[in-house]
Amino acid sequence: MTGTAAHIVRTLLLSLITLFGVSVLIFLMLRVLPGDPARVLAGLNASEEQVSRLREQLGLDESLLAQYWQFITGVLTGDLGESARTSRPVTAEIAVRLPATLILAVVATVIGSIVGVTAGVIAAVRRNSLLDHAISSVAMMGVSMPVYWLGLLLILLFAVTLGWLPAAGSGEPLSIVLPAVTLAAFSTALISRMTRASMLEVMGQDYIRTAEAKGAAPRTVIIKHGLRNAFIPILTVISLQFGALLGGAVLTETVFGWPGIGRLLVDSIAARDFAVVQGIVLVYATAFILLNVIVDVLYVVVDPRIRY
Amino acid sequence: MNTTTARRRTSPVRLLAAAAALGLLLSACSVEDPEAPAAEGEGGGTFSIAVGIDPDTFDPAGQTTTTVQNMVDYVVETLVVFDENNELVGNLAESFETSEDGLTVTLGLREGVVFHDGTPFDAEAVKFNLERIIDPALTVPLGSPFEVIESVTAVDESTVEVTLSRPSPGFVSALSVTTAGMIAPESVTADGNTNDNYQRPVGTGPYTFGEYTAGESLTVEKFADYWGEEPYYDTVVFRIVPEAATRESLLLSDQVDMIILPPVSDIEALQNNDDVEVLLAESDRTIFIAMDTTDPVLSNPQVRQALNYAVDKQAIVENVLFGAAEVLNAPMAPSLFGYCETGSYDYDPERAQQMLAEAGAVGASMELLTPSGRYVQDQQAAEAIAGYLREVGLDVSVTTSDFPSFLARVNAPVSAQTPDLHLLGWAPPYLDADFQMQMFRQATHPPAGLATSFYTNPEVEELLAQADVETDQDTREQLYCDASQIIWDDAPWIFLWTQSFPIVWSSDVTGISATPTEKFSAIYARPAD
Repeated sequence: MTGTAAHIVRTLLLSLITLFGVSVLIFLMLRVLPGDPARVLAGLNASEEQVSRLREQLGLDESLLAQYWQFITGVLTGDLGESARTSRPVTAEIAVRLPATLILAVVATVIGSIVGVTAGVIAAVRRNSLLDHAISSVAMMGVSMPVYWLGLLLILLFAVTLGWLPAAGSGEPLSIVLPAVTLAAFSTALISRMTRASMLEVMGQDYIRTAEAKGAAPRTVIIKHGLRNAFIPILTVISLQFGALLGGAVLTETVFGWPGIGRLLVDSIAARDFAVVQGIVLVYATAFILLNVIVDVLYVVVDPRIRY
Repeated sequence: MNTTTARRRTSPVRLLAAAAALGLLLSACSVEDPEAPAAEGEGGGTFSIAVGIDPDTFDPAGQTTTTVQNMVDYVVETLVVFDENNELVGNLAESFETSEDGLTVTLGLREGVVFHDGTPFDAEAVKFNLERIIDPALTVPLGSPFEVIESVTAVDESTVEVTLSRPSPGFVSALSVTTAGMIAPESVTADGNTNDNYQRPVGTGPYTFGEYTAGESLTVEKFADYWGEEPYYDTVVFRIVPEAATRESLLLSDQVDMIILPPVSDIEALQNNDDVEVLLAESDRTIFIAMDTTDPVLSNPQVRQALNYAVDKQAIVENVLFGAAEVLNAPMAPSLFGYCETGSYDYDPERAQQMLAEAGAVGASMELLTPSGRYVQDQQAAEAIAGYLREVGLDVSVTTSDFPSFLARVNAPVSAQTPDLHLLGWAPPYLDADFQMQMFRQATHPPAGLATSFYTNPEVEELLAQADVETDQDTREQLYCDASQIIWDDAPWIFLWTQSFPIVWSSDVTGISATPTEKFSAIYARPAD
């Protein structure tokens, strides 16, 4: 277990270096983009004096190094700066919006995992049957359908035509159904395909035949001996999908008017609101890195053979 | 082994529990479900409107977009307003008078008006607000018309005298902009507000600021002590829905009562739908192609006129904008004071070709820059225009860019990077030609302003300089009309259209209209009989 602990510490240290790299990259990329934040914020009708005054207020007249120093020292003290667009602290802006995105990603991951793993196992067990082909076709559709199109289609069917579900917003508990299903479509398809492939590989192994020969119930063989051993690649896909869902929520949040950080990110890029974009990207980077660490740890838990 | 098994079994359960807990959290901080409007009679209930923009700030002084101003207008009122005939009339100021020399504006305030916090609206409050919007420490994006204020004096409780540094005939009109909305002086430091981070406005309007959930909605509540006509609905909810098709779905599934800016391609279908009413409201936003008048080819007015003849604007309005625009017949929208019809460049490709041949401009290559998604069908319109220009023998390429990058290019001093042609929209915040004419003055060439065609004509400069200080409104109107005529003939733009502002609402409600500054007017909405 000490080896594992050392591995985790090493991973965390590497993560910090990665985060530093991300902060430099996003800082520079934003500033290479054309578009003066002061001009965008001041509005089309503002005079040149007003724009330069605003530039000064935002600290944009200082050198890049000075701006980065201010940003990174702020980050280290937990201060992500102030949004140029709203004058509110970036941490507050993100704190208000983050829960909505997390809930959406969690619910979508739960849907994606349950449906995806179940479908994948069924497809693997009934290999080459009609059911297998049907699942593969649906999965193929799920992977290739644009989120935007699927989202609007679901709104049209369930909100406008049938009137069963809210079309947008997060005002009532049922509001999450359509965005979560839309967001889950891609990962469900991916997880089911991954599960099927992984299961097929495992089901061909000697110990499965041994288990079957011993007379274990088919159910036990599939779940306990099969799925358990096929689970590592599936777990990896699920965890990485959760990260991707956080990012992928940008489009879904726009279509469904869901008040998460994806939309905040888009709005902030459009306004060249540097502080908010930097803050959100850092949150994303941290989330991805944490997920990787968690997956590392879960490997050990799921498969006792893995030791670091 | 057993322990790991047990752990593995509980983890999905924990995940579900966490999801459920988060779900509870979400519903706990959610807004009330909009109820159906109450039955006829004394009023009540909720009116809900879906808009596309997430508010950046509710501080009247910080406003940049009309959609957010529209929400603020429920809470905060201005001294003057434009009425349904686009005439300037008193509001919180019952009277306004400009002195003979144009340097003093005297405002007579309405009496018996109170702010939502119970404090009286008086001359001191007006002084406080006007001084606030010229305070250099505060960012006031639409503040330029107020920079002429030299001092503000409270003569008595209901009289204010504003001294200007130079005559400014557009000044009183500018007081109608939300930027100059009246907030309670004490509120800038109360209720979590600070002067430069003013988030919960306290005004004199018919509704008080209620709950705001970022990215989700704003709720306002009826103000019992409102001085003016009482609105019908107790509560108004603005729901923030960025996607136009989703807003349309919300309306069609009765989840909101009104929306702005539906997908333009659906306007015809909505007009044929008996359940909804469609208003293509007149707007003062002119859409045009600015031509770089310093370019060797485009510096010739004949070439610029030829480009105007080359484009079938009416066909683009009908087929690309689905009818949601009116073709321009002057360098400004008809709703502005100072407008007069100055002519038309009817579609005439032969004439365009002939003029280009005479000017030796046939085959000239040009770049047409356009933003994407900023104005109604902007990129699609630019593509169509490029097509028409190619038909008369020009080599036109279209470049698209996001708005901040676009602005960076067109707001730069003239250089080799200046695009030959670019599509731009311009909407004066108040209905006066003064603001529109900034587009044709040397003083506002980029980077000092957005006169992005770098157009200069000494005659126009002279007429506009006279209009700047002219206090007789009839004379001023004539000066703008004369300048417009010269500009029209010089053609620094391909004059395109004024974009409409579409509003759609349920047939169950009535009393909704719009102003030409792209604002809806729904405060006095009520159930239809």
